[in-house]
This record gives sequence, C-alpha cells and structure tokens, in this order.
Amino acid sequence: MSDHNAPELNPTPGERFTKFLKRKDVLETLGWAVFYTTGFVILGGKFYTKWMPTMMSTDMRAIERLMVIFTWISAPVCGFVLSMATYTFRHGHRGDTPPEDGPATRTNRLGISLFGVMSSLLALVAILYGLIELNSSAEAATKDAPNAMVVEVTGSQWVWSFNYPAQGVTSNELMLPINKPVIFKIISEDVNHSFWPVQLGVKADANRYQTTTVQTKPNKLGAFDVKCAELCGLYHAYMETNGAVVTTADFNNWVTAQGGHTA
Amino acid sequence: MTTLDNRVSSRPIPNPSKSLITKLNAGTGLVVGIIFALGTYYLLNNNSSDDATVNFQHYNRTLLASMLMWSVGFLVGIGAFIGPWRWLIGKDLTAEEQLYLAGDGQGIKRYFKYCTDHKVVGIQYLVGVITMLAVGGTMAMMIRTNLAMPGGHFITASVYNSLVGLHGITMIIAMIIVATGPFGNFIMPIMIGAADMAFPRLNALSWWVLFTAIPVLCSAWFLGGIPTGWTAYAPLSIQAGPGMNAFLATIIIFAFSTAVAGANITATVVAMRAKGMSWNRVPIFVIGATISVALAVPAFPTFMLAMIQTALDRTFMTSFFDANFGGSGWLYAHLFWIMGHPEVYVILIPGVAILMEIVPVFVRKPLFSYTSAIVGFAGIAGLSVLVWAHHMYMSGWMPMLNGPFMVTTEMISIPTGLIFLVILGTLWNGKPWLKMPMLCVYAFLWNMLVGGITGLYLSDVPADNYLHGSMYVTAHFHYTLMGSALTGAVAGLVYWFPKMTGRMFNERSSYVAFWFIQLGFQVLYLGMFTAGAEGQPRRVVDYADTFHVSNMVSTIGAYGVGIGFIVLLWGVVHSWRHGIIAPMNPWGAKTLEWTVPYPVPLVNFDTPPVVTSDPYGYGKAVK
Amino acid sequence: MSSDTKFHVHHDAPEVIGRRERLGVRLLIVADGSFVFGMIFTYFYLRNLNANNGWIPKGGHHFSAASGWMSIYPLLLAAIVFKIAQRNPKTVGNLTVISLLAYAYGFYYQIHQIANMPFIVKDTGAFEGSYASTWVLMAGANVFHYFLAAFIALGIVIRARRADVDPALEKWRMRTAASWFTWIAISGVSVALTTSFI
Repeated sequence: MSDHNAPELNPTPGERFTKFLKRKDVLETLGWAVFYTTGFVILGGKFYTKWMPTMMSTDMRAIERLMVIFTWISAPVCGFVLSMATYTFRHGHRGDTPPEDGPATRTNRLGISLFGVMSSLLALVAILYGLIELNSSAEAATKDAPNAMVVEVTGSQWVWSFNYPAQGVTSNELMLPINKPVIFKIISEDVNHSFWPVQLGVKADANRYQTTTVQTKPNKLGAFDVKCAELCGLYHAYMETNGAVVTTADFNNWVTAQGGHTA
Repeated sequence: MTTLDNRVSSRPIPNPSKSLITKLNAGTGLVVGIIFALGTYYLLNNNSSDDATVNFQHYNRTLLASMLMWSVGFLVGIGAFIGPWRWLIGKDLTAEEQLYLAGDGQGIKRYFKYCTDHKVVGIQYLVGVITMLAVGGTMAMMIRTNLAMPGGHFITASVYNSLVGLHGITMIIAMIIVATGPFGNFIMPIMIGAADMAFPRLNALSWWVLFTAIPVLCSAWFLGGIPTGWTAYAPLSIQAGPGMNAFLATIIIFAFSTAVAGANITATVVAMRAKGMSWNRVPIFVIGATISVALAVPAFPTFMLAMIQTALDRTFMTSFFDANFGGSGWLYAHLFWIMGHPEVYVILIPGVAILMEIVPVFVRKPLFSYTSAIVGFAGIAGLSVLVWAHHMYMSGWMPMLNGPFMVTTEMISIPTGLIFLVILGTLWNGKPWLKMPMLCVYAFLWNMLVGGITGLYLSDVPADNYLHGSMYVTAHFHYTLMGSALTGAVAGLVYWFPKMTGRMFNERSSYVAFWFIQLGFQVLYLGMFTAGAEGQPRRVVDYADTFHVSNMVSTIGAYGVGIGFIVLLWGVVHSWRHGIIAPMNPWGAKTLEWTVPYPVPLVNFDTPPVVTSDPYGYGKAVK
Repeated sequence: MSSDTKFHVHHDAPEVIGRRERLGVRLLIVADGSFVFGMIFTYFYLRNLNANNGWIPKGGHHFSAASGWMSIYPLLLAAIVFKIAQRNPKTVGNLTVISLLAYAYGFYYQIHQIANMPFIVKDTGAFEGSYASTWVLMAGANVFHYFLAAFIALGIVIRARRADVDPALEKWRMRTAASWFTWIAISGVSVALTTSFI
C-alpha cells in the first residue's frame, strides 16, 4: 500500500509491485488474508447448511443457497479486513509510553481506487444476485399461479386458521399436497401478525382488511412449523401450529375426513 | 447566546440575589412537576361513563396529559421558561444572570440546576446515559435468564413482553445520546475551539427535557408495562394497556429534546469554530457527530408524529391506524421506519467517529484519507433516508418496491466500506499502542464486519423471507449498535475520561471489562445467530426444545457481557473518585481539547485558539 | 440576549450572533417541516388506501375545501405584514400589532373550527373515519403554529417599546423571526392545499 521505502531511481510500476509483495509485513498479511478467506468460505458452506431447517420448497432451497453464496462473496472482504487487523495487532506496541511515530501517509490514490472499485463490484454482484433471485422466484410464481391451490390464512390473537375455499375445509392445521403450488391469502382479524411456515421459506404479514399474498410449492414430504413472526401481544410466542406436506392421496383423504370435497 | 469574556472567570461569584434564577433547581422542578402532574390527573380523571371503552379512553387521556404536564411543570420549576419570558417582556437576561446560569463558581450544585455550561451538560448526559444503560442492561439480563431454558418460567409472558419493549426503547434512547450527549456536549465545543455551545440555554433545555422523560418511561412498569416492543407497531399499541401512555409520552418528550439538541450541535459546529478551523481541519469526531445530529433533526419529528397519532387513536378515537375506520398499520410502519432507519445511523456514526479520532492518536499516524471518511459518513447518512421500507418487505405493502429498496440498502455497503478503509489505512504500517481504546478499535472492526455482512443477507428480499422477524435480526442489529456503536462510546469514555474527570481510567479494570464484554458478546450473539438460522422468532417468551442449545450458549455469553459491564461501571466509579490524577495530555493527542487544563475554565480557552493545521499531524515525513 | 455591561463584552459581532441564531431557527424549521411533511404524507396515504372504505365512511361528514383556507389566511396576512414591518426598526413594533392580531384571530378561529367539527359520532365521541382524523391533526398543528407565532409577535410588540437592545442585533432577530413566520405561512398553505383534496 505504501511506497515509503521506494528507491531513489524511479522504478517501474511492475518493479514496485514485486518489491511491495516481497515486504515482510505484506507477506504475513497476505498469509492471514488467505487464512481468513478460506476460513469464511468453509464456514459459509457449513454454518447455514448445518443449522437451517429442512428445505421443503424451492424457495427455501434458494434462500439457503443465497446465504452460502453471500458468505462466499464477503469472504474476501473478511480476509482483507481481518488480515490487516491481525497483522497490526500482532505487531502492536505495549507499554506506558506512546510508540514511535509511523510514516505520515495521508492518502494513497491507488489503494483507495482499488478498494473503491473492488467494494463496489462486490456490492454490485450481491445486488445483481439478489435481483435475479427475486425475479426468478417471481417468474416461477407467475407460471405456477393458474393451477395453484388457494389457502386463506387468518391470524387472530393467538391462533392461525386455514380455510381451503375450493375444498370447503377449515382447519387449525396446515395440510399441503406435495408438488402442488399453493397461494396463501393472508389476513388478520386484529393486530398485525406474520405468517411463517418455517421450512417452506416464505413469510408475509397478516394485516387487518388488507390481504397479502404469498406463493410457494412444497416439494418434500414431512412436518413443518407454522409460527408468528410479528410481536402480536401476550401469547405471541405460542401462536404456532403444525403443518405437514403430504401426498396428494393423503391430502384428499384428509379433506374428506374434514367433511370437505375433493375436486 | 453571548460568549463570555475571559475576564469573567476571575470575578467574584455574581449573586443576582433578587432574581428568581438563584432559587430554582432540580428540587423545585420536581415539586412543580409533581404538582402539575397531580393537578392534571385530578382535574381530568373522571370515570363517569357507563361505557368501559369510553372510560378507558378517558383514563388514557388523563394519564398522557399528566405525564406531559409533569414534563412542562418540571421545566417551569427549574426555570427553563425564565429566558423566553424575559425576552417576551423585553427584559433580557443581564450579564450577571447569564454568568450565574453558566454555573460560575457554584461547585457541585450547578449539576442540579438549569446550567448552561456545556461541560456541566456533558457530565449530566454522561451520568444519565450510564444510568439508562445500566437499567437497560439489567432488563437484558432478565430476558436472557428467562430464555436460558425452554419453558420460560422465570417471568410471565406479560412481564417478558414489557421487558423486551422497555429494554429496547431504553437502550435506543441511551444509544442515541451515548456519544453526542456526553462527548458531543463536553468535548466537542472544546475540540472546535469554542467557548460554549451556540445556544447554551437550549443545551440545558435539551438535557432537562430528556431528564423528564426518564421517570415517565419508568412509570410504564407501574402501569402494566408495554406489550409492543420498542417498535410499538399499531394496531397492537392501540389496544395496549395504560402503560403504553408512558411510552408515547416518553417519545414525544425525547423527540423534542433531540430536535433541540440536534439544531444546537449543528449550529455550534457550523458557526462557532475557532479561527483557522476550515472544514478540512475539523476533527473527524466533530464531523461524525454533526452529520449524525443533522440527520436526527429531520428524522425524529416523524417518530413524534407517529406517537401523537397513536396517542390520538388511543385517547380521542381517531383512526390513523385502525383499519376498521380507514386507518392502516402500514402507515405507522412507514412513519416509524422513515425515522427508524436513519436513527440507527444516528447511533452508529458518532461511535465510529470516536474510533476514527482515536486511531491516529494511538498509531501515531495521520488519519488515512480524511476525505474518504467524510464521504463515507455523508454517503451513509444520505442513503439512510432511502432505505426505510426494507423493514417492510414482508408487510405486504407494495411488494413491487422491494427490489428498489433492496438496491438502495445494499448500496450502503459501499460508504460503509470506506469507513473500514480509513481505519485500516491508518493502522497499516503503524505500530498501534494497544491501550484499551485501541483494543476497542479492533473489536469494532470485527463486530462491524459481522454486523455488516449479516445486514447484507437481511437486505436481500429472498433471504429476508426467512430471516425477517427472527432472532437473526436481533443478533444482527446488536452487532451494529452494541458491538460497534457502544464499543466506540466505551472507547471514547476511557479516552476522554482524563479530560472529563481529571483522572485516568483504572487500566486493569478497563482491560478486564473489555475482554469480558467482547468475548461474552461473541458467544452471546453467535448463539443468537444460530437460533435465528434454526428458525426461532424474536420477542418470544418461550421456544421449542430444538432451540435449547443455541439459547443456552447465548445466555452464557450474556452473563459474560454482564460481568464485563459491572467491572466497567466499577472502573468508572472508582477512577472518578480515586483514579490517578491525569496529566493535561495523557495520550499525546493533537486535538484542541487536550490543550486545556482540568478543570476546564468556564470559557474553555484563556485566549481563543487559532488553528493552523488539521489535528492529525503525526508521523515521520515520507520520502 | 443581553445588553452590554462592564462585566462582559460581546466577543462576536451582532452579525455573527444574528447569523448563528438564524441558522438555529432554520434547523428547527427543518424539524418542523419534517413533521408537516409527515402529516401530509399521512393524509394522502390514508386517502388513497381508503381501508374498509373508512376515509369518509358512508353518510360521513367533511369540511369544504374552502374552510381549510379560511383557517390559514391570517398566517399569510401576518407573514406579509411582518415582512414589510421588519424593514423599518422604528415602526416594527406598531405594524407587528397587525400580525399579532391576525395570529390571535387565527388561533381563535382554528379552535372554533375544531370545536364545531361535523364528523364526531354522537354516542361515542369517536371520529368518523381517517379523513376526520387527519383533519383534526392538521388543525391541531395549525393551533400550535398560531400559538407560537402569537407569542413571538407579542414579544416583538412589547420589546419594541420596552427593551434596551442592541439595534443591530435586534434587526437580525427580526429577520430570523420573519423566516419563522414565512415558514409557518408556507406550512399553512401546504396543509390547506392538502385538505382541498377531500
């Protein structure tokens, strides 16, 4: 970064760069940078895949992928920051008197420009990735919409209830057939709630008199949790219920058992 | 409003004995405030109606009015309105009276008066902030204790919800003033070579107004608490019990104080700088604090507006947020977050600016790329007013705008990057003096890195589908507010302690506190990130067994942080009373506040300083 | 806000103090402006959303567009009069009486309007809908503006007769007061314009 020990003869940029790379502090910092970047790449691959729950829809899969990729995008940033911090910390000054003065470098055009370009590029990648992901999920939703099943979700203090208008069923448990797109139409009877079928990777607030819509397509059999993600009063913590993704046959049986009619 | 000449400090103590000014203090304020509050209560309290709803409205009206009148009464009693009254009748305050108000020669008494000296106000803010942080921290410990085990049997759901809300709002208020209150008032005017703030009486006003908010907020406990969290989303806040009035009154009072303080600090920096201190010679802390308060000036009134609307809904049956009669909870969210997102930068920027002020001193190098630092702060402040709806991705309010708000939000990472660049560039090629304030800089680098990167996930709409309203969010903003801004403020406390108290901060306690706080912090929020990734919603009194491990880890970390802060508090008290007497400039810094002795004279400088360079002239010349 | 005595001198020229005070007031105007903007935002947001058809419910009442202007024209009048008055320090005290009266009248009129709101539900005392709610909030803000303005105008009238002041500084203060009066006139017009869209 700094060129304070440059020789008197003006060296070419290439020579200066080689010389810069051979500096002891630069080498150690680069070592740390590689260490931290690799660390974060590995961590990014492991942490979210380990701790996030089962993926039961493409939306949830996309979210987990996004978390991993964003961690990878930011790994070099972590490497850059932490390596310089580690180096200077290791070579810091202890004691009761101030250290000697360092070089009076006030700016470094090349360094700042490089940093500006790199950080903007990384931000751009993140923005583009997010926009593309947003767009593709919107497209998938539009494609799936015509043959989707509608579930009307009503939040009230402190229960969820689900109405299947086409099947004529109302229930406090959320049953969904596998591989069938589903549109949740969400509304509240009182204060704001937030409908969160955790493993399906979608979420939307329930507002009074304003229906919010969210769409997904469960693609894995099994139980999932339905929670409320917006503080809604005394028993907010207990405003949860069970959900399950079942085969189409099981779903039809369930509908019949509830007194509804299968299409 | 007038700068006092330096000759005044050698004059005998002025005693404008006829004047009412000498007889008023916080005690008379307390008495008049209580009289006003009780008077209002008995005048308005009237549960004559048969209708319970009408009675409830009436009760809310009575309580709210009593709380606001307490504040007004206190200000009357402490003499806040003497100045405006004397202006009105054309008898301006005389020089003696102004000198008396500045607390000249009044010793410890002036801390309990309507004192216009910026140093007194700074100490008042410091004690106030420490008290609030201690109260808010105790609440946090209770929350974490309850969450250690599934079942949540330590406290009831209603107490828990109140704790969450009161912890939140206490900490938010404390964090907003944690840097600009004590250091912005005590240190900053000296840093720019001014004799006092631009408007000394407004300065006293901003503190005492804020002071009146504290008992109001505490009264929420005795009125059944608040069930809404600090965000106080409507319509939940409309159906909430009487404790909600305390919340509303607190914010209305606090927003007023912030607007006054913001205008005052901004005007001071713009108009009161020493001769020769052109804009490129202003210390970076001053720049940061000014950008922060200037951002607060337009931001907080919308918060106040949202609170007034909530109050009207609760007391006069209007329907701003009641969807039955044309209102909307989305409106609340808009008004709240139009304030709420700039507000997090109001908190963050001064904390970061303190650290930037510290780095050059301890590395003995000039601040790297001063311009980048300013561009970074200004960029953050500018973008922060365009991102509020990222809190509302899932609200259903116009999903088509999620994309644009995602773009603006992620763009904030670019100016934030500049802040890292400035600090790292200053560190590079230097040998940092690893005193406690410098350790805080390192802690900041790590915490802000984690806070920033997790913010990137949250700003992304698809990922926010999962993370919104989960513990992940809680961990994220604690990394930015506590891990970054509070760390900066703690560094500032240790750094400026010698100038504010005349004594050095006890070193051993500062190191012990630092490591307990920072290591505990990592454990605490690593656990919370994990809980969030697993799918635990925030603000829950109880959780499923699957989240047990991460919550237990989190609670263990919280106790570490708790121990650290107790040690730090001990350090403050002990050092203030028994610390080593500090030399004038213990750190060898070059900003102006280190050129004045302790105790700092009433008008700060014997002769007004003339500035000839920026305060970062450290280092050996580069070949 | 002080006169010269042997105990202390002005470090700063009246112009410096004057500019500083004007800057402070301008910053407070920014804060107040943000509040007014929030109210206007509220008005149009709720009007367009019209949740549950509750903006003006069926059979509901509302003020005419003109009544909004009726309650703010004193603001305009007073601001214009003061703008002229402050140019001449000798007559400012006399001319400001007109502004003061205008503010006092506006204060009275706005409260009178609030007292006679047509959209209160008789049995419960509730407001009919969100139009009524936003209207009363804006009227309340006008009352606040009128009160503050009347206070300042009264001060100017009294001070012109009694106060022993530095004329140069006082001139700056008149300019500062003028910018506050101008701002509240602008805010009044914005509010009246807003409530014209019923």
